[in-house]
Amino acid sequence: MKNWTSRSLLLPLGLFAAAVLLDVNTMTGILSVEAMQYLREAMIVLALILSLPIIYKQSWATDRNVLRGLRSLFYLILGTYLLLLLSSLENFAVTTQKTGENALYGSVLGYTVITAWTLFSCIFALVAFGTVRSLIFIKQKKNTASNFLLLMLCLVLYALLSLGHLSDMANRFSYRFDGETLGYIILFIVINLMVINSFRISWLNYLNKKQKLLIFWGGLILVPLQWLLNFKFHNANPAALFSPVLGRFVDMGFLFLSIYLSVGFVVLVFYLPTAQLFDRKMRQISSMHDLSRAISSEFDLKRLVDTIVQLAVQVTEADACWLLLADSGASGWTLAAAHNLSDEEKQTGIPDRINRWISDMKEPRLINHVVKSELNVPMAVWKRDVQSLIAIPLLTGDKTIGCLLASKRIEYGFEQDDMDTLRAFGEQAVVAIENARLIESSLVKERLEQELKIAHEAQMKLLPKVMPDLPGFKLEAICLTANEVGGDYYDFFHIDDHRLGMVVGDVSGKGASAAFIMAELKGIMEALARHHNNPKELLIAANETLYDTVDRNTFVSVIFGIMDSRKKCFTFCRAGQCPLLFSSARAEKVEVFEPPGMGLGLDRGALFANGLEEVKITLKKDDMMMLFTDGAVEARNPRGEEFTEIRLVALFQQYRHLQPKQLMHRLIQEITTFSGTAKSHDDLTFLIVKAL
Amino acid sequence: MENFQVTRSDSELMSTLKIGGFLDAHTAPALEEAIQRLVDEGRYNIVIDFRELTYISSAGLGVFMGFIEEIRSKKGDIKMCSMSPKIYRVFDLLGFPTIYQIFEKYDEAAALFNPTAAPATDKSS
Repeated sequence: MKNWTSRSLLLPLGLFAAAVLLDVNTMTGILSVEAMQYLREAMIVLALILSLPIIYKQSWATDRNVLRGLRSLFYLILGTYLLLLLSSLENFAVTTQKTGENALYGSVLGYTVITAWTLFSCIFALVAFGTVRSLIFIKQKKNTASNFLLLMLCLVLYALLSLGHLSDMANRFSYRFDGETLGYIILFIVINLMVINSFRISWLNYLNKKQKLLIFWGGLILVPLQWLLNFKFHNANPAALFSPVLGRFVDMGFLFLSIYLSVGFVVLVFYLPTAQLFDRKMRQISSMHDLSRAISSEFDLKRLVDTIVQLAVQVTEADACWLLLADSGASGWTLAAAHNLSDEEKQTGIPDRINRWISDMKEPRLINHVVKSELNVPMAVWKRDVQSLIAIPLLTGDKTIGCLLASKRIEYGFEQDDMDTLRAFGEQAVVAIENARLIESSLVKERLEQELKIAHEAQMKLLPKVMPDLPGFKLEAICLTANEVGGDYYDFFHIDDHRLGMVVGDVSGKGASAAFIMAELKGIMEALARHHNNPKELLIAANETLYDTVDRNTFVSVIFGIMDSRKKCFTFCRAGQCPLLFSSARAEKVEVFEPPGMGLGLDRGALFANGLEEVKITLKKDDMMMLFTDGAVEARNPRGEEFTEIRLVALFQQYRHLQPKQLMHRLIQEITTFSGTAKSHDDLTFLIVKAL
Repeated sequence: MENFQVTRSDSELMSTLKIGGFLDAHTAPALEEAIQRLVDEGRYNIVIDFRELTYISSAGLGVFMGFIEEIRSKKGDIKMCSMSPKIYRVFDLLGFPTIYQIFEKYDEAAALFNPTAAPATDKSS
């Protein structure tokens, strides 16, 4: 109500007060009655026109709060009606009509009552127009504003037409059918425009069912009351007694409100049966929206499936809902998320019969009556209180990755519509679950890559940084690692001033675990090299230590030897490793030394020790020997062919005149050229010694 | 990545796993699973047929080592047969022929689990 005191109303109120003052003048008779009447009417019309903008300015009902506007209107109409019953307005009006005299100025009491009622009914009409305009403008369309403006213009025009009867004071009620054709035409147009404007009621549609019901019951009281009010005011309009223009304006205001409320009420009655459906659709849309948001923001699989199940419950109003995801590898299903399942049901897991039924299902199913269904759903073996069921298989391509199920305790609990929504849900859910899984696996992959990187760095740190000096010999070694960390290893051990231990090894398997075992091997070898001068004893001891610590499916192949620079001889043992290649400067052919010996970690005792054989070779000037790992012979070309030991031996023979470093580069170059675009998948190690 | 296949066939006295393709660190778990299943079922007489195998890495060799102790403690064994020279070379380098009996022909390996059949000769010996 506070808005009524706003500045926009001050001027009209002032003018109204002036008109009242003029009436006082009429009664005292200073100006001529005729002139006074015209002046008075002109002021009233001006007041009316100036007050019209309030219809536009005031927002009586908004999109978000339609009910508040309607509630105010309800109280206004009810209040007015009660006031009308309590006051004796009709008596005054009817008396005036019967006597045919100008009753307005008949008595002070009569004048006061009619004037008060005129003011009140004008405000009523303004509020009515304002509220209806607000409602009409809620769902504004292209023509909404122009239609309403046209109505207001015609209405004012119609009201102004009553000025013609001003002189005939006794005939002030005759504005209704004044006999003038123009008046009828305008009235006809006005009523038509009212009806047209009254169809702007789509806001009703967007109310939820509860609000619609509330308005329906309110409307049952309000609409008849408004028509009653309309007729009462029409028959005895105090405003018409006061001023014909105001009379018509008020009359039209009441009429418009009556028409608008009636049309709204009738439409509401038609909307009511579909209110629930409309609510459901709205809920579906909002759930879909929530799901889309969840999909784009939630990458944690557990939380994602929980969200999917909660939203599915929300949209179908199911009693229970659960989501099964295919086990990785196995053929069963895991309960990924559940709503309203008992602990017992959760723990029991899904029985095989249901698993098979789900696995065979390739399209969504709606089962209205589980027990009587022809599909013979074996649900009762697991969950007893299921009477109606929706099952949505989650498919990617033709692979079922999961199943979304919703159940109700009553038969025919779901509609086709529910299934369609859940199906759409399922389609979105598949994408979301796949996304979450991809991200999860890429995180795992990233972690593994990080682990491999660390392992690779560790492996590199274990290798000697510089080649040791050994009088009379030139040494060269290299270890090239593949993308994945292999387990190749080479090392040197200073035994005394003229003896140098050297080892080339390969740990089975790959990755971080291979790097750890390699580190362990290095420790063992370093410790043992101090106490053992004999390669065979050393390897037997190393095997015993290693056998106790590594997994049974892990082993290490090594070739270990001691180079004596004084005796110019190399004593070595081969434990599962690739053979030693030896080329004498004086002989044509490369010798391949492959003494028996099994890998470390395969057997703890006698089998290993007995099988190990020690070999001693003597190196004269320009003789050369080479140790290598299987990465050198197993390198593949893009056609899948292996480099082979034969090729390696041939190259060793061909390039034996080179220095160790050049030979090594040559061999690596040959292998790289051979492999071409094929990716190497194993480490590659060479250790070359040349006697000077 | 190359693929790896393992197919199993059971007879009254033994189980045969035919392996083919590429047996390395990536594919080893498949073979591991197959052997584990046999062990779980109490089938300890196992022949591994290598005819279709084109490559074996150290991780692939490790699979057999992981089971042999348990299987032998249950009076069973893993016999191997039909290796290509290249595959046999890998086994040989590591000294596996002293741990496992490796045969040229499947029948020779199978015969060892069949008490009525004539004894076969070991390729490695």
